[in-house]
Amino acid sequence: MQIIEREKLALLIESLKEKYGNNRSALLPMLQDIQAEYGYLSGLIMQETAHALGIHPVEVEGVASFYSFLRTDTKQGKYVVRLCQTISCDLAGKARIARQFENELGIQFGETTQDGKFTLEYTNCLGMCDQGPAVMVNDRLFAKVTPEMVPQIINDCKRDFIKTTFPEIAPSDVQKEGPLLQNTVAMGDGLKKAVVMSRSDVIAQIREANLKGRGGAGFPTATKWQLAGTAVSDKKYVVCNADEGEPGTFKDRFLLHNQTDMILAGMSIAAYAIGAQKGYIYLRGEYLYLKKYIEEAIARRQKANLLGEKILGNKEFNFDIELRMGSGAYVCGEETALIESLEGHRGEPRNRPPFPVDTGFMSHPTIVNNVETFIASAIICANGPKWFLEHGTEKSVGTKLFSVSGDCEKPGVYELPFGITISALLKEVGAKNTKAVQIGGASGHCVPESEFERTIAFEDISSGGSIIVFSQDRDMLHIAKNFMGFFVEESCGQCTPCRDGNVKLLEGIEMLEEGRCSVSYLNELVKLGRTIQIASKCGLGQTSPNAFLSIVENFKNEILGRVPEKV
Amino acid sequence: MTEKCITCQDSRGAKSTSGSRICAVDDTTAIGALIKVTIDGQPVKVPLGTTILAAAKELGIKIPTLCYHEDLCISGVCRICVVEVEGMHNLQASCAYPITQPITIQTHTTKVRLARRHILDLMLSKHYGECYSCVRNNNCELQSLAKEYGVDFFRFGHVDKPKFGQDKSSYIERDMDKCILCRRCVRTCVDLQEVGVFEAVGRGTETTIGTFMDLPMIEEICINCGQCINRCPTGALKAKDPSDEIWEAIEDPTKHVVIQTAPAPRSAIGECFGMEPGTAMTFEMNTALKYCGFDKVFDTNFTADLTIIEEGTELLLRLYKALVQKDETVAVPQFTSCSPGWIKYIEHFYPEMLPHVSSAKSPQQMFGALIKTYYAEINKIDPADIVTVALMPCTAKKFECNRPEMTDSGFKDVDFGLTTRELAQMMQEAGIELTKMEKSDFDDPFGTATGSGVIFGATGGVMESAIRTVFELVTGEMIESVFDKANILPVRGFDGVRMAELTIDKIGPVPDLLKPLVPNWDWLKGATLKVAVAHGTANAKRVLEDIKRGGPLSECHFIEFMACPGGCLGGGGMPIPTNEKIRAARARAIYQEDENSEVRKSYLNPAVAALYDKFLTDGPCGHKSHHLLHTGYTPRGSKVV
Repeated sequence: MQIIEREKLALLIESLKEKYGNNRSALLPMLQDIQAEYGYLSGLIMQETAHALGIHPVEVEGVASFYSFLRTDTKQGKYVVRLCQTISCDLAGKARIARQFENELGIQFGETTQDGKFTLEYTNCLGMCDQGPAVMVNDRLFAKVTPEMVPQIINDCKRDFIKTTFPEIAPSDVQKEGPLLQNTVAMGDGLKKAVVMSRSDVIAQIREANLKGRGGAGFPTATKWQLAGTAVSDKKYVVCNADEGEPGTFKDRFLLHNQTDMILAGMSIAAYAIGAQKGYIYLRGEYLYLKKYIEEAIARRQKANLLGEKILGNKEFNFDIELRMGSGAYVCGEETALIESLEGHRGEPRNRPPFPVDTGFMSHPTIVNNVETFIASAIICANGPKWFLEHGTEKSVGTKLFSVSGDCEKPGVYELPFGITISALLKEVGAKNTKAVQIGGASGHCVPESEFERTIAFEDISSGGSIIVFSQDRDMLHIAKNFMGFFVEESCGQCTPCRDGNVKLLEGIEMLEEGRCSVSYLNELVKLGRTIQIASKCGLGQTSPNAFLSIVENFKNEILGRVPEKV
Repeated sequence: MTEKCITCQDSRGAKSTSGSRICAVDDTTAIGALIKVTIDGQPVKVPLGTTILAAAKELGIKIPTLCYHEDLCISGVCRICVVEVEGMHNLQASCAYPITQPITIQTHTTKVRLARRHILDLMLSKHYGECYSCVRNNNCELQSLAKEYGVDFFRFGHVDKPKFGQDKSSYIERDMDKCILCRRCVRTCVDLQEVGVFEAVGRGTETTIGTFMDLPMIEEICINCGQCINRCPTGALKAKDPSDEIWEAIEDPTKHVVIQTAPAPRSAIGECFGMEPGTAMTFEMNTALKYCGFDKVFDTNFTADLTIIEEGTELLLRLYKALVQKDETVAVPQFTSCSPGWIKYIEHFYPEMLPHVSSAKSPQQMFGALIKTYYAEINKIDPADIVTVALMPCTAKKFECNRPEMTDSGFKDVDFGLTTRELAQMMQEAGIELTKMEKSDFDDPFGTATGSGVIFGATGGVMESAIRTVFELVTGEMIESVFDKANILPVRGFDGVRMAELTIDKIGPVPDLLKPLVPNWDWLKGATLKVAVAHGTANAKRVLEDIKRGGPLSECHFIEFMACPGGCLGGGGMPIPTNEKIRAARARAIYQEDENSEVRKSYLNPAVAALYDKFLTDGPCGHKSHHLLHTGYTPRGSKVV
């Protein structure tokens, strides 16, 4: 019996090796597929996978235990219910949904029902912030869940979703469109224009548009492409960072679903510009339901000779795109962590320098750009840079997509010009009685009312597009706790300041909650927060204490001297 | 284009070749490029790609480190080495920052010192255990930094109970409550040794250094090389210490306690007493051992010489069978068998290649078997009353002496494997100041050893000794005719894999000792003997893979393998710290002792000749020697599930 099991597993591993390649970068997709088959990754599975790829079993365990969607301990249920615990869903009433799931299934979060049908888990940000509370069951998404919907969802699962009362993909509300969302570029237009230009002319166009990375860091896209383009190497890669994990961000989810072709166009143009033959879309595990749409879009472009060999008749232009799934790790949105993950490692950020444009995927020059950046590039190539330059500020050109959630009348996706003031934005989204706005997600800043005249732009408050509105009745300490809890879970755990420092900040928040934190200890924690900002290895660590620090700075009166409620 | 770390071909973040260079620097631009940097106001010019840490070292500026280790690729995770780079908002990890343009650096501003203090405070908040009850007391990098940075209270608290508990199941013991997650053990085990016991497991605050499936060490695929211990900055890793049992035996009047001492410990034990690396303490140590209460102190070099005779004979027999008798079942090249870490490595990872391994026991085990037979017999001591201790540079020797087959004397051949560090501890406990000890010689009947035995302590040493003996036995000529002063330099040094060739131009008569085994040497006339040396199991893996591919190493006749980088002098039981400079100093001491030796060729050791004359009367690889001095191996495989 055991021998048959081993043989069955060996066959599966062999077939997956054929599918994903006989090297370590195949590891993550292999583990994802095996888990889908077996429900978890047992010691035997990890050992056999390791031997098949010529690595050590403990290395596979290191990877498997890193990603929250992979499990090594117990078998998961047939239906894994993942309830988003991040701030927007939290504010929208996640706690009651959790309680109701526990009531219906008779288990606690973190447990699996005896019959092996259901597992309850919390998860971080499903990208449904405007429609929380959100629940994901396997690859299905449920928006605006109310307690009374819970038994319905469970019933749907029991019927294997054969008849379901819920839409397959919960759409996002687009509240305001701009030139990017309204583009009328036909399939292939951008690329056709690009391939008749020289590579440097393509990059020159992007430079003329002064396009800066839409992920939040604002690095000039043309410079990135230029560096990778001039690097000498036989292989180069284009990677689309579709690991949208920042709490409060969901515009990429919308774009990945509605502008898929433009993303692929942007990647192809980038590939042409730098001389890459291979591209990857690294799609976060939470967006598994988008996989088939993206793969269909890839197939369409392949059919139209916009991907594949000798693209558009250009003998020297071969480029194809492969979709790779993440497995639940926020840090993989950091570009070097993303590359590590693509290579089949734990998603731990690398030391920089060297930068990916020089030493990226498999040590080859690699550009990693945000979903929105690729779309903007594609439209710039198709329509020229002029339309882009008409929007935004001098240093922050163009429009930007914003994901708005929290306490406002019209949450959803907004396309607005850079340089908009926070107060104008709040008016636009119908926010009233606002106490503070979290700009840039958990890693961003909590801006108090006194600073609402500041602008959202790379030169003032930079943002990847996450806007979470907090009204006057929100408890800022509760918000800070949610953010710090997020970082304690999502820190990759390699560097000391981020791994251990954020735990201390979270403990400090708990002390504040209980009303037993002295101002001198709080000041000590603020200093520690600054150390975490300047001494951590990667962008995640460096921004992890931001929310804590800005809340302590701006709302000290609210958070000190609390008298805990008697339970 | 980009350099790759020689030890980790795999990607593990930024990599380095020597610890001071980051690999991702384009070589073509690096040639000759010198960059001017200013550190704490002092200017210095360094080659492009030099790290800030290495540049500071050049100026004599000390930057604290924890996750950095010269033998390992760059990790940049502990962040204790952060410095301020002018014009950059964030601090930079000096171990991981390659200098590519002129920069100005400050290494100890208030910002930097506070950050370092915070990092220490965070580590200490989770570091369970008191320094005075720790094996690394006074030799702990965390403790030293706490002192240097004036830690006098726990700013962010301190754990008051252990979270993990200790794993004492095997010869490598773990105490993860002392771990600071620097991952030096991971890089040692995965990259340097390619054994793969440890890896970071879990994420965020739950990250730990795990073993596969969290199994106890005894169930893991571990070769007991102890390299992880040597590179652990704290007391999270240690070897199983037998000293209490040894003290007990010493104090038991019915027991005759003898110790054999391997060549490497004597070159390094001085380091535990404040001496510079490379100070040989051979004869002071002999006196100190007597002072501790050992009844006899023997030199393992004696059985090293014996190993050369047995293993050299076996090699000649293998070659004879393969080349003359055309026996295709004979495995060539022959692999050495002295290093128990290497033996366990091949048993686990290349069991199909075990027929290549010489059946000769290691010198330690040969000695054990002879003490409880030959020595017991001539001294009329009941072997049941003899306790044999082996002073070794090695943690794997502890496993080796406990292998169930190592009982050919009728008793456990070697009772205890004791490391250099543990002996130093015993001496300190006995109030011995080693440096003030008088000198004394080894005890008979094994007192005489040759320089060939001594150099077993360095990588290439077994091969050099074998060549000296085999060449002279076959040709009848002096090896000095080929290699000046019998120093066979091509097999020395620290290159990971080294190859050498030696043509046998003429042949001599077969010596008496070998006459029963081969009729003549005619078949070796004009032959070119090809040998190779590999140290560190990652390099061993390279050699074995090359042989499997039929590469150049498959044409070798004899290959020396040592599990530890540098050979025994870099063993897992040697004084901490270790780095290439320290290992080179120990090697110098060892080669010096060889040069100082009156006899430098194993076959000329009179005590060895006497042994064949009186005890192993059917000669090398004869029936008796086979029973006592040879062994077999266990194909273990690399599966735990």
